[in-house]
Amino acid sequence: MSLKILFFTSPTCSWCPYLEGVLRHIIKEIDHLELEIIDVTKDISRAGEYEIVAIPTIVLPNNQRIIGSADETFLRKQLDFFLTLGS
Amino acid sequence: MIISTGIEELDKMIDGGLRTSFCYAIKGTAGSGKTVLSLFMTLGALKAEIPVLFISTEVDIEKLMIYGKSFNMNLESYVEKGLLHLEKMSLKPLGTNLVQTDQFNLSAIIARTKTKMKEINAKMIIFDSISAFFADFKYEKTARSNFMDFIREITNEDAVLVLTAESQMSEEYSTIEEFLVDGVIKIRTELKNNQLIKRISIPKLRSAKPINFENRFIINRDGISILRSEQPPISTIHEESSGIEKLDNLLGGGIPSGSVVLVEVDGETNYFPLFLSTLCYHLEKEKGVIIHSNVHMYSSRILEDFKKADCDIEPFMNKGNIVFIDKYNRSVTAIEAREMSQLMTTDDMISVTVELMEAFQKSKQKVVIYGDLTDDVNILSETEFLRYFALQSFNIKEKRAVAYSFINFNAISREMLARLRTTADIIIRFSREDYTTYMECMKSSTGATFLPKVVKYKDKMPLIEIVD
Ligand SMILES: Nc1ncnc2c1ncn2[C@@H]1O[C@H](COP(=O)(O)OP(=O)(O)OP(=O)(O)O)[C@@H](O)[C@H]1O
Ligand SMILES: [Mg+2]
Repeated sequence: MSLKILFFTSPTCSWCPYLEGVLRHIIKEIDHLELEIIDVTKDISRAGEYEIVAIPTIVLPNNQRIIGSADETFLRKQLDFFLTLGS
Repeated sequence: MIISTGIEELDKMIDGGLRTSFCYAIKGTAGSGKTVLSLFMTLGALKAEIPVLFISTEVDIEKLMIYGKSFNMNLESYVEKGLLHLEKMSLKPLGTNLVQTDQFNLSAIIARTKTKMKEINAKMIIFDSISAFFADFKYEKTARSNFMDFIREITNEDAVLVLTAESQMSEEYSTIEEFLVDGVIKIRTELKNNQLIKRISIPKLRSAKPINFENRFIINRDGISILRSEQPPISTIHEESSGIEKLDNLLGGGIPSGSVVLVEVDGETNYFPLFLSTLCYHLEKEKGVIIHSNVHMYSSRILEDFKKADCDIEPFMNKGNIVFIDKYNRSVTAIEAREMSQLMTTDDMISVTVELMEAFQKSKQKVVIYGDLTDDVNILSETEFLRYFALQSFNIKEKRAVAYSFINFNAISREMLARLRTTADIIIRFSREDYTTYMECMKSSTGATFLPKVVKYKDKMPLIEIVD
């Protein structure tokens, strides 16, 4: 079973490329996690479906959302639940 | 394009109706009728076959439909016809948990709103309410400052944007949005003879004289009615002299306190005669003057120019009536100043200015602020500058001060100039043709604009004269 993490970005988000890199780096370590990147300006229906308001937004499979950019330590802490699930 | 609100009396109060590319705020305390009024405005547009996008931030779409039904509105039929789209937008959808940082923007709501607007060709966008929307943000200040982009982008699309906002009982100008919007429709509730009475007024309306009369506002099943009241205006405009009599007359009496006056010059026209003449007058009237100095406008140059005009301002400086805030080091070249632009952050500038304004007000002095914006525009990033300008303008409005902001329109982009013009209350522009300088007023909150008039320079105060 694979769990999906949704990462909502937009071209005007200056932190997004960095955050995407960090996120990819963390997720690579875990087999059962998958990352999907959605540019809200290109896929409005997904943005509407998930009621996305702010960018970046990371939607985790447990209804948890991370609004705004953060560093690796912060992200790891938020993703801790999924990381231990995979080890 | 002017869109009727569907309420005749309200149309009259807002100068004929809602104008596209304008942003209006409906302000009122909780339960005052903001949502009901925005629903009736929606219906007014729909009846004229004007498509509407209704964004709800607190109430679910189904509930909104039911709310409409209680007023005999058949919103579904308009949705089916493709004239109406209702969209829920909130940071925290039901059942989600949020972790937040302050590094975000609101590009998702901009993208979603623009796409929906295009789909139905909406000319009216309702956003009900910004208070509920911001309540979910941990970093509300960041959200609010990003919301300015939303306002700008949506009004750029030739549509009317109507925001509703909950106001506290006592506030007068409490939110930045109120200053950024073009019109404010205010609903006030009061208890009178054991009866809850609602009153509606228009405390702010761009490009028209605001109606300060409070009219009775009545909500019933069949709609909203507004009864014209005979009560005197709730507040009057206080006009202040510019120190140049002819200019005051042309502006219909002077400059209302709380105004931001944008003075546009080309690179070669010297704005100093106007600057120094008004400055001299304000000092003589014992006002508190704050000067945001930079590479063009700095203390030693100002003192020297005053000396040339046989005018001594040193006593006022000694009294502390004139304060320079040095953001950039003025004795250096323009290029070096650019590099040193971080000497003081814009937030520092704002807080120092506010502190000074409050200090002057404590000693019962009226406040006048001067600044040359040209370098700020070029040094700061666009968002940072616009945020800074909006905040400063907001403070000036709130503290009932007057600000003169000078700008070299040749040194900034047309888009930037357009944005400054939206925020300014009065625009004075200098232009030149064949060695003659002209001055015109392109916009005025009092409605008193004037066409180019010949300007003559003199070597004694006032250094500037407007000739017919
Ligand atoms: N069917 C109705 N008939 C008459 N009056 C009504 C009806 N429904 C609501 N009202 C009036 O409308 C008011 C509520 O209006 P509304 O929901 O627009 O308030 P609001 O300003 O949006 O409040 P909030 O800040 O809670 O969103 C009530 O106080 C009531 O007086
Ligand atoms: Mg409401």
